[in-house]
Amino acid sequence: MGNVLSLGFMAKLFGTKEVRVLMLGLDAAGKTTILYKLKLQDHVTTIPTVGFNVETVTLRNIKFNIWDVGGQDKIRPLWRHYYSGTQGLIFVVDSADHARIDEARVELHRIINDREMKDCLLLVFANKQDIAGAMTPAEVTEKLQLNKLKDRIYAVQPTIAIDKAGLQEGFNWLSDNMKAAQKQ
Amino acid sequence: MASPQPARPSFSRNNSSQHVNGATGTGHDRKPSLSSFPPQSRSVSQMSHHGPAHRSRSPQPPQAEPDRTSNLSSKGKTASTGTGFSSQHSSLSAAGVTRQYNNAIGRPRRKLRSQYPRGSSENHVEYILVASFDIDRGPVMEHQYPVAITGDEHMLAELMLPDQAHARNQDWTIFFLHKDSSREEDEAERQAKEERRRRRKRRLDREQGIIHESDDEDDDLDDDDWDDDESTDDDDDEPEGGEGPPLVYVLNLVNTKHDKTVKRGAVVKAMAICTRHPFLHIYKPLLLLALEEYFKSPVPETLSMLFDAVNEMDLSLMPKLSLLERHLLQMSNNKDLFVEKFEQMIQMRISEDRDGLADQPFDASRSPPRRPGIFRHGTKAHLEGHSTYAVPRDTHEFESRVMYKGIPIPIKVPTAIMPETVGDFSLIKLIQNFSEPHAKSPHPFPLHAHLTTNGPNTHPIIVLVNGLLTQKRVIFLGHNMPSGEVAEAVLAACALASGGILRGFTRHAFPYTDLTKVDDLLRVPGFIAGVTNPTFEHHPEWWDVLCDLPSGRIKISSRIEQPAITEGLVYFQQQNPSCASLVHQSHSNSAMDLTGDQAFMADILKSIATRAGERVIRAKWRDWVLKLTRIAAAFEESVYGASALYIGSDEHDNYPHTTNSTGHGYVWADDEKKSRELAGNVTRIEGWRNTRSYYSFIQDVAQLYTIRPLKGLDLHHMHDRLRTQRLTAMQSREIYLTFAKYVRSYDEICLLLSVAPEAHAGLFYIALGLFHKDREVRVKTADLLERISQHEAGQHWWRGLSRFEKLAYDRIKKEVQMAEAQTGMGGLTIMPGSSEDPMRRISREG
Repeated sequence: MGNVLSLGFMAKLFGTKEVRVLMLGLDAAGKTTILYKLKLQDHVTTIPTVGFNVETVTLRNIKFNIWDVGGQDKIRPLWRHYYSGTQGLIFVVDSADHARIDEARVELHRIINDREMKDCLLLVFANKQDIAGAMTPAEVTEKLQLNKLKDRIYAVQPTIAIDKAGLQEGFNWLSDNMKAAQKQ
Repeated sequence: MASPQPARPSFSRNNSSQHVNGATGTGHDRKPSLSSFPPQSRSVSQMSHHGPAHRSRSPQPPQAEPDRTSNLSSKGKTASTGTGFSSQHSSLSAAGVTRQYNNAIGRPRRKLRSQYPRGSSENHVEYILVASFDIDRGPVMEHQYPVAITGDEHMLAELMLPDQAHARNQDWTIFFLHKDSSREEDEAERQAKEERRRRRKRRLDREQGIIHESDDEDDDLDDDDWDDDESTDDDDDEPEGGEGPPLVYVLNLVNTKHDKTVKRGAVVKAMAICTRHPFLHIYKPLLLLALEEYFKSPVPETLSMLFDAVNEMDLSLMPKLSLLERHLLQMSNNKDLFVEKFEQMIQMRISEDRDGLADQPFDASRSPPRRPGIFRHGTKAHLEGHSTYAVPRDTHEFESRVMYKGIPIPIKVPTAIMPETVGDFSLIKLIQNFSEPHAKSPHPFPLHAHLTTNGPNTHPIIVLVNGLLTQKRVIFLGHNMPSGEVAEAVLAACALASGGILRGFTRHAFPYTDLTKVDDLLRVPGFIAGVTNPTFEHHPEWWDVLCDLPSGRIKISSRIEQPAITEGLVYFQQQNPSCASLVHQSHSNSAMDLTGDQAFMADILKSIATRAGERVIRAKWRDWVLKLTRIAAAFEESVYGASALYIGSDEHDNYPHTTNSTGHGYVWADDEKKSRELAGNVTRIEGWRNTRSYYSFIQDVAQLYTIRPLKGLDLHHMHDRLRTQRLTAMQSREIYLTFAKYVRSYDEICLLLSVAPEAHAGLFYIALGLFHKDREVRVKTADLLERISQHEAGQHWWRGLSRFEKLAYDRIKKEVQMAEAQTGMGGLTIMPGSSEDPMRRISREG
């Protein structure tokens, strides 16, 4: 496949590479807001995603091909079709939604237990930290039972998507660990 | 998820003898089950059941019986008009030209009928649906009218809300539902047939002198039934394609309205129209208005208002054309072709209206109609309101309107629709989309015997068509494109591969689908699907050929299965050792264009560049597909010794005085050319064999054969020989005399015209017979041309002849007349005062 080879060559020349990141989470967690905050540096009023959004964002010389897939429970079974070839999973949690944190845990574990996701990095965005009563990153880690995970590189990053707070840090972690993963 | 329908052998629907226990249902309590996927378990062996075998009634012999013809000529002398001369005449009757058709030739013996008769119980539109995207639950169905479609409601709602509907204000989608025709419908159909059979029997009885008490009241109906065998039964008239119950086509409009007052800032709603009409695009303006209305008043009444409005649309004046007539109309750019049929429909209606007997058929012998003016649509006279009825401006389209909320919305319905033509699409757009990037920088394809028939640089459109013909899984991907555009590409691809000749594409097409249906989709062999989600590209195990619309690139999957070496291929190589290496040429980087596809694509692109128009391109593709089927027949005959792709080779006995040299099948200039072209096509033909479209084509050939005029004579072959081969005078004499001898009736002339389309050379090669060195050929050809000139469609072909040819015709006719005058026989009289048109001068005596 000539195309793939030439892409790889270009990537070495300019030091950019492309990685596929899948962003999932329950409906109204803030996935689309995060995507367009990164892409447009601007706050857009989002409406529920019918299907998916996909955008390419370049951060620290890495082209992130970010897939944001709608989160309504009826359409969650479709998430699995996006797994193959995914190097990083961003799981977005509405930290203020205490009622559905268990639902989020079940969905998260279902995703990362899939065979196709076994090598992928996990970044949890504990979103909506600006709302009073929001769970702290430590609480989110506990509620999602992340400490139970074995052989998984993960991080929990507190974010306020509408202010862009925490997003850059989260992607820095992703790119650092991608590089580390590549070197091994 | 769509659940697969239970397998039903699909011949049961047309089989009137089948006994069905079921109450007769009325419109609203029908609850057919619908699924967006075809029944999975219908296998090839079941499909092959509905061959001609169940058409128990034998068709009429093609030759006109003299007593019928004479009986008709007194009845059917409806004066026609001079529209043929120019479509600019505002009043057709004002032209004042009375043409008397020789009814054996000029007009079909079938009684003219409406495609959508008045008072038919069949609705134009069967259901109206509304769905919305619920912010908690995802897609949900809101309303269905008049009744809920059984089946998976959630699946329907998902199809109605395409991916990324949130990202645009408006989007269209198209999808198909596979309907299990209900028992009630079967029952109704059976009763209708029973009734027709009873009437027919009584008529026969009466002819034999048996009198029934109730005869008087049924007189009019009976008079009209003489041709019952040919055209009363809609589904027996001509094969419609026996793939099973008709599809329900769904046209869907989705709107996203941003609204700060609602939770999460937007409302996404979709409204869909479900119809059996393949021309579903005509409903677009109505859906736009109705969905707008629904945002204002989201109640079932909004749906019922639309339902009533569209079903009141009157298409009853649209004449029903036979298959051959539809071919002629589709291939012709002439806006007047078959205008007589539209006039006749109007005359029938006028006389019905006057008699106040709305359901009685027209009988001109009872009351010769006083002709009120019939005008052309949109002309001054028509607009001034002198007439209720009007003939369409272009006979390719029937003009009607729908009254919605007091607003008349003009609607144009195509008169002739070929199989596999659904919706409004553009072959030109499809071809251009995948040709331009290829022309700029071709990406070589990985080799595949079925697909890359011209090596790695095979034109992408040919790769696509090869993929469709050999039943590969084809996906059209349009990321960030409206799903309506993706659906259009899918529909165009179906029409491209079909050419109006092959079937089995639309039935397995999913003009728009998404990830929710992928599991069902993958169970359909050789699907053609439109998607907007680029995830599909990341799954090469899901498809064989991927057509990326935004980049205009076609990809062959890295996971595609390589075809096995077939017996046919091996036989061919054994039979043609000199060409054995050529078959493999298609796998290497060969510059030889064995298939002729490179030249063909170059011609297509040139036609597009010179703005030849959609109809021309469709006609060229039709020719390409037709040629492939004829080459395949020749291939099968030479390799396997027989082919089901052509019937009639053993019927020459019916035509005394023709020898074997008339022959059949595709014509090559010489044997060398034949072997080379076969060599180029072997792998593709072998891939086409055993596909759905191959088997349904065999069925169609068998069914068409039963209604075809001139069985056993391959007019196409004979005409091609005149066109492409260097013939001796004796050889061409035989062909001309065969034409002149056998091409006589209306249908036979239609058949001849269909092999000599105006777009090619029209009657040019036939008219060459006027210059043949044998006098008999000249005279007989002149007679044939005379018959053609009197033919409803043939008159337009006649008009396309050059002045030189017409002069030769006049001279020959004059010679014949003089010779006859000398011997005192007197057959034809030529009226003095000759003008250009022989029809106006020649009338039959006696």
